[in-house]
Amino acid sequence: MGTSKTNINRRQFLKNGTLAVAALGAVGVGANYLKHITKVKNENLLRPPGAVNEDEFIYACIKCGLCVQICPIEAIELADISDGLSYGTPFIDPRKQACDFSCDAMQCVETCPTAALDFIPFKKSGEKAIEEYDKTHNPSDPDYNIFIPQSKAMKAHTDMGTAVINLKTCLAAQGKGFTGSPREDSFTGVYRSPNPKRQERKATPVNEHAFKRDLCDLCVTECPIGDSAIVMDTEDGKNMPRILDGCTGCGVCVMICPSIPDTIVIEKSKTV
Amino acid sequence: MIHIKKLQPLPAKRREEMPNSKLGLTFKEWKANKPNKHKWRNKRWAVLLFMNFLFWASFFFDLSVLEGSLSGSRFFGIYLMDPFNALQEMFVGSRTGYFAMLTTNFFIGFFVILMFYFLMGGRTFCSWLCPYHFLAENAEKLHNYFVKKKKIKEHTYDIRIKYIFWIGFLLLAFFTKTLVFETINPVGIVSRSIIYGPSLLLLWILALLLFEIVYSKRFWCRYVCPIGVTYSALKKVSPVGVKFDLSKCGHCRDCQDVCLVPHELWFVKRGEATKEIHTTGADCTNCGLCVDVCYGDALKLTIKGFDKIT
Repeated sequence: MGTSKTNINRRQFLKNGTLAVAALGAVGVGANYLKHITKVKNENLLRPPGAVNEDEFIYACIKCGLCVQICPIEAIELADISDGLSYGTPFIDPRKQACDFSCDAMQCVETCPTAALDFIPFKKSGEKAIEEYDKTHNPSDPDYNIFIPQSKAMKAHTDMGTAVINLKTCLAAQGKGFTGSPREDSFTGVYRSPNPKRQERKATPVNEHAFKRDLCDLCVTECPIGDSAIVMDTEDGKNMPRILDGCTGCGVCVMICPSIPDTIVIEKSKTV
Repeated sequence: MIHIKKLQPLPAKRREEMPNSKLGLTFKEWKANKPNKHKWRNKRWAVLLFMNFLFWASFFFDLSVLEGSLSGSRFFGIYLMDPFNALQEMFVGSRTGYFAMLTTNFFIGFFVILMFYFLMGGRTFCSWLCPYHFLAENAEKLHNYFVKKKKIKEHTYDIRIKYIFWIGFLLLAFFTKTLVFETINPVGIVSRSIIYGPSLLLLWILALLLFEIVYSKRFWCRYVCPIGVTYSALKKVSPVGVKFDLSKCGHCRDCQDVCLVPHELWFVKRGEATKEIHTTGADCTNCGLCVDVCYGDALKLTIKGFDKIT
């Protein structure tokens, strides 16, 4: 003790330690600045189903990307540093590729290890639906399938946001019809049509579906949730699609809408 | 700081006790005896590249082998968590009450990783898996070359500042309620860039590598990285390490030259060793570079207790 060597060591430690604390302080200031940017940018980031509120999400998500990997239609992307502290966190761009519930089982939510996408509420609503189903159905019935009501309940439980329609550019509101494939030729997005005639088991490219409508109502007919989410109002000779409380913000209507510029946007859910 | 009671060093070896004298060779002849093979390094790089390839391939080809990234993944269905990431998460969670939300898989992943790296020797992660290490290891070679050519000077810091950073990053996470470290963490950034495509933050990695090449050797890994510190705590109690046998050592110190953390090989200097057998400490990454270079086979990668059986 007290030799010159340990004194030099201690001095160097103190000197470097001060430097380290200063560096940490700088990182802290930088992080707070980024947090500011993040708050503004986050308004536009549509999180995957089941996301906890944004204040929690920003630390709950460990940026592993498991939700990105499991999504069968590759709807989820990871944000970059231009989105501030959201770097590495998942989001969905519905105009590019909406979440169409193709997986039927909320896989991204179930796979999340930190519950940033919280599966428990989904699980509960699914179990409740099965209970209800069991009251009216007999397990010995050949059509007995608990998966259908469970999946339906879990889908309905999703609350990413709500679709908002700009009636000025909406084709239906202008009384126009629509023929052909809904999006530009280079568009690669996929979805699974809810039309029972097609009986699709897997999602197919949007542009493989050709439509012929006298009055454009793609957003209404292709909605994976159905009547509880969107209906076409035809009162007073005016046609306009109307969003109901059942809307989950999945964004299929955003993706399939043929009008240019974008008519439908998803407003992020604030209550979750 | 903590004061550990130091053992008295053993008396320095006399000339006739040197391994070369025992074989009747001069020191130079003895050194020429063993060609410098890269056995361990080749194995290590193969493992490192293969594992990172597996991460990439699992996503690209949709294989359920090793999904996720180095911050959190799933190996054949078993969750794995980056330990420092998990610590931060629990730290923030304990403040906000989010802790109760964390899933069982999260804790399974955390403990599986702790158990695995306890068995594998803690910082083994660094040299055998970390993609940033691979870049930095090659940057270090470049740095050494420039130093040798006297183009640049070496700048060193006190290695203990990494503990300040470890505590500091946890505190930062606690006070800002964000995973601050994850935004600048080169391990996660490089890993994510490999798997999900490049990010703008690769510029930060580039800047860091440049700094390490022209200013301070292995700056991030040695003085900052809290992931490494977490793993080095496991290394402290882990049975895996590089074993040093004083009787076979010729004190040429070539091993210290190639070592990525030379302070861990302090006992190879003549007259420093306090025991006949030493094992490397917490910062050793079990990379095997010293094992490859050793002329007398004085250094060996071992599991404690195993050498007694075989």
